[in-house]
Amino acid sequence: MSFAPLTHSAQSAHLSREQIAQFEIEVNVIRDSVMNNLGQADVDHIRHMIRICRASEIGGRALLHFGVGPMSWIAGVMALASAKILDNMEIGHNVMHGQYDWTGDPSLNSQKFEWDIACDGEQWRHSHNVMHHTYTNILGKDRDLGYSLLRMTDAQKWKPRHWFQPIANLLLAAGFQYGVGSHDLEIGRYKHGGMPKEEFKGRLDRFVGKVKKQWFKDYLLFPALALWSAPRVLAGNFLANLIRNLWTYVIIFCGHFTEGVAIYREEDCRNETKGDWYLRQLSGSSNLTGGRLFHIMSGHLSHQIEHHLFPDMPAHRYVEIAPQIQALCQKYGLFYNTGSLFKQYLAVTKRILTHTLPPRAVAST
Amino acid sequence: MLHTIATSPLRRTGWIQSLTTPMVRALQHPWVENIVRLSAIEDSLQALHPLMSLTQVRARVVKVVNETALTTTFVLQPNALWAGAQAGQFVRVRQEIEGRRVERVYSLSSRPGARRIAFTVKRQSGGQVSNHLHDHLKVGNVLTISQAMGEFVLPAVLPAKMLLLSAGSGITPVMAMLRALQAQAYRGDVAFVHICRSPDDLIFASSLKEWAEHWPALRLVLHFDETQGRFTTDTLQRLVPDLNERSTWLCGPGGLMDAVHQLWVDQALTVPLYSERFVAFARLPATALGTPVQVRLLASQRDFTTQGSAPLLVQAEQAGLNPKHGCRIGICRSCQCVKASGTVQNLQTGEISDAPNELIRLCITAARSPVTLDL
Repeated sequence: MSFAPLTHSAQSAHLSREQIAQFEIEVNVIRDSVMNNLGQADVDHIRHMIRICRASEIGGRALLHFGVGPMSWIAGVMALASAKILDNMEIGHNVMHGQYDWTGDPSLNSQKFEWDIACDGEQWRHSHNVMHHTYTNILGKDRDLGYSLLRMTDAQKWKPRHWFQPIANLLLAAGFQYGVGSHDLEIGRYKHGGMPKEEFKGRLDRFVGKVKKQWFKDYLLFPALALWSAPRVLAGNFLANLIRNLWTYVIIFCGHFTEGVAIYREEDCRNETKGDWYLRQLSGSSNLTGGRLFHIMSGHLSHQIEHHLFPDMPAHRYVEIAPQIQALCQKYGLFYNTGSLFKQYLAVTKRILTHTLPPRAVAST
Repeated sequence: MLHTIATSPLRRTGWIQSLTTPMVRALQHPWVENIVRLSAIEDSLQALHPLMSLTQVRARVVKVVNETALTTTFVLQPNALWAGAQAGQFVRVRQEIEGRRVERVYSLSSRPGARRIAFTVKRQSGGQVSNHLHDHLKVGNVLTISQAMGEFVLPAVLPAKMLLLSAGSGITPVMAMLRALQAQAYRGDVAFVHICRSPDDLIFASSLKEWAEHWPALRLVLHFDETQGRFTTDTLQRLVPDLNERSTWLCGPGGLMDAVHQLWVDQALTVPLYSERFVAFARLPATALGTPVQVRLLASQRDFTTQGSAPLLVQAEQAGLNPKHGCRIGICRSCQCVKASGTVQNLQTGEISDAPNELIRLCITAARSPVTLDL
């Protein structure tokens, strides 16, 4: 089977301009119902997460440094990996979206936040908040589409390097923090002369600077502090980073690359109204089902649809509005893409493998 | 005429600052910050002891005094980072109300150099912070405050004759001045004229009464509007015939302050008049969308006038500036900055806001009054 790009018209062709305007109003009502009653509970939630994250990091590092035997090592790795996942997903990603800017707390300020990952915060804010969230799933604009590495849709031209796509995919998963970190370098654009050398140099320095800081922390300072336990700490830190990479990769790939997620062309999105934008965000995202712990560990990206509709809404509130969004989709005959992690990731894998093959090969199967 | 030189606020830097300043600087270094955030250290210190901090003055409420039906004095014990205050200065008091950080300034009424500091709060009808302080701040609570600031202070060399003039809750900085004078055993001639509605509304009544009896340098004049009629500049001239010999410190509502300033001009008085305005910020009425208004940028020290109803980002670009921006449709927050003052409209929601020091997104915000941005 093939994953023909569902175009804008295919998803919401049945809606008139008036219906889209009405849809926009109804989505705004849901947004306002939450945004007009932000308060203590929201701040308490994120601070609670920050406390858990810190405790988990301290506990994890302590187990790696001072623990004896393999069980304490495994526990240390898991605790440190959880801390990094929490820091990146539920705290960093959400804070940097400005979900807590309204609190006025400088430690929750979106434009100043920096996180425990090889991706520089400022570069993330550009590649993610600006490019990905504005131009979601627009081919040639949203650089999250296959991360300039993978062919995810027939609309992307097949090249011989795509034969190696399954391997490239595994490498991207294992080193996801470097993939995300180097994302804003736009190496492709630079190579094709689309970016002045000084600008690229500046971006590269920033990326390398952050990677150095992370390596210094995880692979030099903490192992050195552990003296004779240095190899144990080094290996533990490496594994914790790897687990975080794999987890974030899986969650993020399930957000936009599942079956039935729409891909857009630039011309589809000219003169978009907010209603059109909402429709594009909705049809370009997919959710994951699970419990509270799963939602938190995914940074509530398990509610990718709600997140893309309202990127600056405190993420723990997505759970409460998800049924309303789903009901709205039913009312307007729109597809609300959701499923278990297994089901959704299977769809992603199929999509990656299918697009490994040149279009002719797919057509003949 | 007595020449007085306004002294800049003296900052007593104690041994603790000489320890914390380099520590904070080291912790803010990017390589250190990448290992442990300063906010994590601060939170841990606070968990150990609520007053402990490397960066912030925190103070514990040790006494709550109900002065009148509407005013309460909070006496605080600050931590070691507190660098002291001069008489007449104020502090910013921070509160977190429903998850939102809010700050208001309050003049200190305590004697400068005292171990404990005090500020007095009047309940404002509809006032979010003043009511919150009255209803929730109890003995044992801990507050974060700023260092003392403000230029409304006594000079290093005190003049021989002085007039302190205050109305309502404007008494608080003047009270600190009186306490400073008293502590220095000031032997000159200080007249203190205070205006309030009735004896029931008089703050610090018992201290004032005691001083009036036992402190010969002080001439206390209380004017109660309810029984003695409205206070005007004529009343002032009648009560203090030797106005032109007295350096004057004035604090009260805007109407009184304007009238007294006008009196100084009309009578060509040559003695200095120092004053402190009580309004926290000016609420600027919204003009029609598209009316040209002045936009002032604090950091880049630029001014420009808006043309049409386009968002501030477009306006700034038309004026030849290039503020940081991203999506231009209100999603990414790259163009977010602090609006120090002014009335603005969110073009997406239509919401109009005149709150000071609020975060706005330039790409979806239009000016509805002269605006000052921290940009």
